[in-house]
Amino acid sequence: MVASCAEKTYIATTIGDVVAAARISRTTFYREFDDKRACFDAALEHCIEEVRGAATGACSADEPPAQAVREATAAVLDLLAARPELVHLLVGEAIAVDPAVVERYRDLVVPAVSGLWGSDEEGETHLDPWLAFGRAQLLIFDRVTAGDAGGLSELLPEVVYLAVGPFAGHDAAIEEARACPGPVAGAAAR
Amino acid sequence: MSWAGRRRGGAVSEPRARLPRGRHGLSRETVTSSQRTRLEAAVVAVTAAKGYEAATVGDVLEEAGVGRETFYELFADKRDCMLAAHAQLVDELEARVRVAYLGTAPWPQRVREAVAVALEFFAERPPVARFMLIELFAVGTPARQRFQEDFNRFVALLDEGLDEGRVNGGPVRPTRLAVGAVAARAYEEVVVGRAAELPRLVPELTYELLVPFVGEAAARETAAG
Repeated sequence: MVASCAEKTYIATTIGDVVAAARISRTTFYREFDDKRACFDAALEHCIEEVRGAATGACSADEPPAQAVREATAAVLDLLAARPELVHLLVGEAIAVDPAVVERYRDLVVPAVSGLWGSDEEGETHLDPWLAFGRAQLLIFDRVTAGDAGGLSELLPEVVYLAVGPFAGHDAAIEEARACPGPVAGAAAR
Repeated sequence: MSWAGRRRGGAVSEPRARLPRGRHGLSRETVTSSQRTRLEAAVVAVTAAKGYEAATVGDVLEEAGVGRETFYELFADKRDCMLAAHAQLVDELEARVRVAYLGTAPWPQRVREAVAVALEFFAERPPVARFMLIELFAVGTPARQRFQEDFNRFVALLDEGLDEGRVNGGPVRPTRLAVGAVAARAYEEVVVGRAAELPRLVPELTYELLVPFVGEAAARETAAG
């Protein structure tokens, strides 16, 4: 399902495509899923889990929050670079099938990142974390739709900036972005 | 009121109100262009209302008051018509943002004005907003290329209007973050059916756009207007 949606989009995907790619019978398909949409929803859950696994596996709760964010972001970008079909499914296809899906996983990510910084500090309004998530998503989708999933790691400074800025402020976020390894100068020149 | 309805009586087209039959003295180009405009307006209205998948060419013809034969003279299929309408709307949005952004006011003010016209563009015709930001993704793989082209077109426009010496660099590229902010926020509001209320977000979105360029304190000042 994931492969077919990434290749030809959800709408063009038939159950025939899915069973052929999975080398299972139609009977088996219908034993597992009521219909194409149910299969898509399950595939989506699977993608979300995969991304979550990469993020949580790359950092630990004892680290300083900025370091945890940097490591988790790098791991997620690596995963997406290796498997750009996840990006197609989680962004373009999710929007086509049901825009509410995007909100659902955003609601998992933002509190998780926010939690790294502990309870909210008083006063200061920094960047909006919910919007920062959408911005990061579009930067990633832009790379993948350009056919440059391999270059996703170049987005590390920007995604880290967006993940740190809402909680620690612009200045700290720029510092963290600057501290990211990778071809920062090349990315900035584009 | 649908977009098609609102355009009725406009300079470009009179949807439904067909052009005179017989010897009307209008050039072939005028007739074709009117029909094209009506069909593009109709595909927006129908797609936004029913969703891309459910919308049929028949629905579009009925909304536009144009015959099937004419439709297929102008477009290969529903998707072709949809993509043509989409391109037209992106051109329109870009033209409006361009005028607002490439003015003579100080740069941060121009950013604010660009944000304002973009949000107004979506707010004045919520079906257009839904069509551009959500339904596009239902057309299949060409949507990906469209997204890609449009996103970078607005990044280029923002780059074009940067003040000389205002470095768009460092570890992040603020113009990309800026386009992402407007698109992401507009998308969120459209999903929950609040496109018409987008203009109220001008101050906070201006702030979000400016922070990566100028930091939080300066951004707050400009955003307040």
